[in-house]
Amino acid sequence: MAVATRLTSPQDLAEFRDYLRSERDEKATCLAICAGTGCRANGSMELFEELRRQLDAEGLTGVDVRATGCHGFCEKGPLVVIHPQEVFYQGVQISDIPAIIEQTLRKGEVVDSLLYRDPVTKKKCRLEGEVPFYAKQQRIVFRHNGTIDPTSIEDYIAAGGYAALPKALLEMTPEGVIDQITKSGLRGRGGGGFPTGKKWAICRAQPGDEKYIICNGDEGDPGAFMDRSIMEGDPHAVLEGMVIGAYAIGAHQGYLYVRAEYPLAVSNLQVAIEQAHEMGLLGDDILGSGFSFGVEIVRGAGAFVCGEETALIASIMGDIGSPRQRPPYPAQAGLWGLPTNINNVETWANVPVIIERGADWFASIGTERSKGTKVFSLVGKVQNTGLVEVPMGTTLREIVFDIGGGIQKKRKLKAVQTGGPSGGCIPEALIDLPVDYEKLTEAGAMMGSGGLIVMDERTCMVDVARYFLAFLADESCGKCTPCREGVDQMHRILTRITEGKGREGDIEQLEELAGYVKSSSLCMLGGTAPNPVLSTLRYFRDEYEAHIRDRKCPAGVCKALVRFRIEAEVCKACGLCKRDCPSNAIAGEKKQPHVIDAAKCVQCGVCYEACPFGAVVTS
Amino acid sequence: MIALTMDGRQAEVQDGQTLLDAAKTLGIEIPTLCHHKAVPPAGACRVCVVEITGGGRPGLMPACAYPAQNGLVIDTNSKAVRASRRLTLSLLLSRSPESEVLVKLAQEYDAQPLFSSPTPQPPAPNTQHSHGSTGTAKTRQAVAASKCILCGLCVRVCAEVIGPSATCFAGRGRGREISTPYKQLSDVCIGCGACAFLCPTGAIDPAEFCSHPIEQIPNEFNCGYDVRTPIHIPFPQAVPNKPLIDRENCIHFKTGGCGACKTICPAGAIDYDMTDEIVEEKVGAVIVATGYQLLDPSIYEEYGYGRYPDVVTSLEFERMVSASGPTEGELRRPSNGQPPKTIVFLQCIGSREEQTGGKPYCSKICCMYTAKHAILYKHKVHDGQAFIFYMDIRSAGKNYEEFVRRVVKEKDATYLRGRVSKVFPRGDKLIVMGADTLGGGQVEIAAEMVVLAPALLPSAGVRELAQKLRIGYDQHGFLSEAHPKLKPVETNTAGVFLAGCAHSPKDIPDTVAQASAAASKALGLITHDRLTREPTIGIVNQATCNGCFECQTVCAYGAIGPREIRDRRGTLLAVVAHINEGLCQGCGACAVTCRSKSIEVQGFRDDQLYAEINAIGSSAPLVAALPSGRHGNGSEK
Repeated sequence: MAVATRLTSPQDLAEFRDYLRSERDEKATCLAICAGTGCRANGSMELFEELRRQLDAEGLTGVDVRATGCHGFCEKGPLVVIHPQEVFYQGVQISDIPAIIEQTLRKGEVVDSLLYRDPVTKKKCRLEGEVPFYAKQQRIVFRHNGTIDPTSIEDYIAAGGYAALPKALLEMTPEGVIDQITKSGLRGRGGGGFPTGKKWAICRAQPGDEKYIICNGDEGDPGAFMDRSIMEGDPHAVLEGMVIGAYAIGAHQGYLYVRAEYPLAVSNLQVAIEQAHEMGLLGDDILGSGFSFGVEIVRGAGAFVCGEETALIASIMGDIGSPRQRPPYPAQAGLWGLPTNINNVETWANVPVIIERGADWFASIGTERSKGTKVFSLVGKVQNTGLVEVPMGTTLREIVFDIGGGIQKKRKLKAVQTGGPSGGCIPEALIDLPVDYEKLTEAGAMMGSGGLIVMDERTCMVDVARYFLAFLADESCGKCTPCREGVDQMHRILTRITEGKGREGDIEQLEELAGYVKSSSLCMLGGTAPNPVLSTLRYFRDEYEAHIRDRKCPAGVCKALVRFRIEAEVCKACGLCKRDCPSNAIAGEKKQPHVIDAAKCVQCGVCYEACPFGAVVTS
Repeated sequence: MIALTMDGRQAEVQDGQTLLDAAKTLGIEIPTLCHHKAVPPAGACRVCVVEITGGGRPGLMPACAYPAQNGLVIDTNSKAVRASRRLTLSLLLSRSPESEVLVKLAQEYDAQPLFSSPTPQPPAPNTQHSHGSTGTAKTRQAVAASKCILCGLCVRVCAEVIGPSATCFAGRGRGREISTPYKQLSDVCIGCGACAFLCPTGAIDPAEFCSHPIEQIPNEFNCGYDVRTPIHIPFPQAVPNKPLIDRENCIHFKTGGCGACKTICPAGAIDYDMTDEIVEEKVGAVIVATGYQLLDPSIYEEYGYGRYPDVVTSLEFERMVSASGPTEGELRRPSNGQPPKTIVFLQCIGSREEQTGGKPYCSKICCMYTAKHAILYKHKVHDGQAFIFYMDIRSAGKNYEEFVRRVVKEKDATYLRGRVSKVFPRGDKLIVMGADTLGGGQVEIAAEMVVLAPALLPSAGVRELAQKLRIGYDQHGFLSEAHPKLKPVETNTAGVFLAGCAHSPKDIPDTVAQASAAASKALGLITHDRLTREPTIGIVNQATCNGCFECQTVCAYGAIGPREIRDRRGTLLAVVAHINEGLCQGCGACAVTCRSKSIEVQGFRDDQLYAEINAIGSSAPLVAALPSGRHGNGSEK
């Protein structure tokens, strides 16, 4: 790593970039190991240490091993991509290292067992670009994830980072920056979808010299980790976006609110801030422009509601994390009553690339009203789970099937839940819907922050609604009556229904409460809380009725309503179900059809999953 | 100014005011729960929602917290508003079915407690009064969970108006409750009681979470039987009928915080910077009507006053039965709050008493007011029995005797002639042991309340006042009249008059009569162009006076003062003594004190006295010895 002195002008920066590039050999071999939180949990850091150790032991000290940000294909981790060839290895274990060194590094051959096998073509993919998961993505926000070490500012600069910063600070006016962002059509990626340029313009227009900007890194949706990967994998992109935004608005102090459950993101951001400060890219008189800006990290304390902008602002100020009535909006009166512009992590990460490549380029991607790309966390019953970045307008079908590889176990797609607890379900019949703010909202769902949960026929939609309402009832701050009482009561009704104690009139009461909570809540936690219920009722009302009237759970999930049975004609007596049953409820000799003892059965469904012949059925 | 339309009518409010303020200007009523004008709004309960139908983002918004904006069109009672309000009340009622304020509101919107109650279970043992790891005791259940509607007024007033932030919300969502940080007894709570005052349901009690005992301010007018706030109207029908601030207890004066009274006063009448004004007036007449106080009967330990809560004085009894008193007129035993079925009145406590501590005179009013109290008692406790221990019944006024007779006959009060030797407790009753001299023998009455009639004393500090006014007082402190028969409202000092109990114990009719007399005398003094005085007053010979002012020192009536002698050009020649003819009573003390013999009392001048003596001593007829300025060696004055 080169140690640079402080950069005091754009020329300094350009020279430094040239210097770095000249020092690095583009053709040198580099093993990029995913060191995002997901792969770390799978042992990628141990893999990294061991790889480095063995390479040194083998004398291959010229080979670079780099711990990068999240590559996105979390289903197949730990991931190793070998540059410059772009050979893609998945599920790499420490035991695979000798093979990699021997075959790939020494002989230039691929290790077949580590290649990804396309389930459709059944062929092995050698290069990253061949993997369908990546082929259909357009990685703009994730442009550096997977190739740079997030704790190295030199990597970022060498890769082309901090090019937008001098352009904005020294070649553009603040109004010009806002104009570009407005023209690009960038909208808030946290879920609100508010035009970013418009928000910046409102904040800039407020009177006064003291303004603030905030990066909302609270990402509370269960199962969402897009912002986590951006903060962990490319922290400088976020910082660069914030400096440009601060310049446009006229703020000199910013806050990065990161939830405390993301320690790696916090530490990588901290390192990035220190490095940027040392190099003069943050702090006083940035690059000699005369513009000063400092940023501080504030950690959350475990409340989903603190993702709401006024509650977040209260939390930064040390008050209890409860939202307040708006207007006035934070752009008018936020932190300490002063104009404050708050944007999501992904929104900030888009800013440098828009300034660098121009608003027209960005606006050429996406649909008429939703421009650019969106990062989704694709999870659930899909083959390939992970983070995907696609242009707006991509259909859900393409995401689930072309990128996601379709449903696990050859089952049928039932629905896709978008937008987390604030969003709704899109049924299979509407799977050709494009991802677009307005289109998703029309269908009763929501773009949200990008959560995409894939559901198959073994997902009970009533249970899904109950799950989200349990989460929201727990996370409600409790300030306003509709959310505190209404969401809780809706949750109780849904719990009763899933326990087989539903009553005539429950659906009507749910709908009445839903309308009330939606219309009367103080903030959008309560305001969107009924969405899972309303959208599942819209498309799957029959499931609710089956639970209430027939005391049946068609998906076979609600334990109180489901019984598992083995069909004797289909059973091949393979014994897999008996082996896997946690309650020893299955009896059966070799060659005899097996039988489930209803008294011992706890309805866990393991036998159903285990049976290769589909002999286990629900009733 | 901001103009908006509400229910079809135009409203104008200031910038910064809310939709609720706009509604007030139009006289439109919007119900609220978590709103109070002294506390910044939260918009939390959602009861006050109104519908924005135009001019802004449409939807239901809380009127108390939504800022007024130009051109908004608002419907305060639309179908959506009513439906929302009904559900809000229904849900809150399910949480707190005992809250009267909710029940009342819910009736207007036909809201039923339809839902299962989310109220948390009774507190687990570790929230009881036990010590945490830091050694600080845990709070008891500070808030009655079934009554709390989580409006947050207590939290907001403590944090944003008073200052200490002693209460807070604990927990999140359905588990939210009002408590203190870490549920520990609060060291910062100052016991002001603002939280309890604002709580619409009476759910919070600061004594439960304050780490030190809370002293409430006893209401002096109700003899300490209830409490008052620092800002208070001292008593009903006070003149002027305006509140005053007790600076010693007022939070604003003690800490600089609060200021809630000033915030909510609609007339803007509160000014914390007001100071006392010293006003000097020159007056011709003063009427002293300083009233009375009661003897403290705790000096008589045998009656148990101060030891047993059910032994009270007549004044305390008076407050208890008053509709404006501590119990709004319901007579209750201080010990257990129940109405006393047997009550014993003891007369002459400290009056007609030769022994130390007592007064030898009769306090005059007690026989009559005790009879009145017996009647009031029967009005309050229909099945009660009253006993009265007396020495003599003094009912000498107009219809007074008939009044007492009526008490005996119609109200079934038993008069026992005799003294009480002892009052002591037995069980939950007080045993009154006394003599019945007419019936013969001792009596023991199991009383539930004992009322003492203490002696009347002049008000505290009256002796010092009398000395300033240069008027006389007797050994008891009652001010002295000039003549008991012929000048009952005048003092020996001209221009100072007496009225009421400052002079001697008397009741209201007599006080009013005496006051009218004193007023007439005072008017008589000041409504004439000339003052008529006795001619036998002192006169200073200013030529011989040397200005030593010994005479001023000895004058009991403050009648002597300095006078400057100046020549025609205004040069000061001398300062001599001058006697105010209006004040001089002709006692002659100055004349005998004056060293230069410059003072003489008219009619008692040396030459006149010599002439009288000579006349008595000579053989000339007495007629010739009449005092006259022509004889002797006195000079003409």
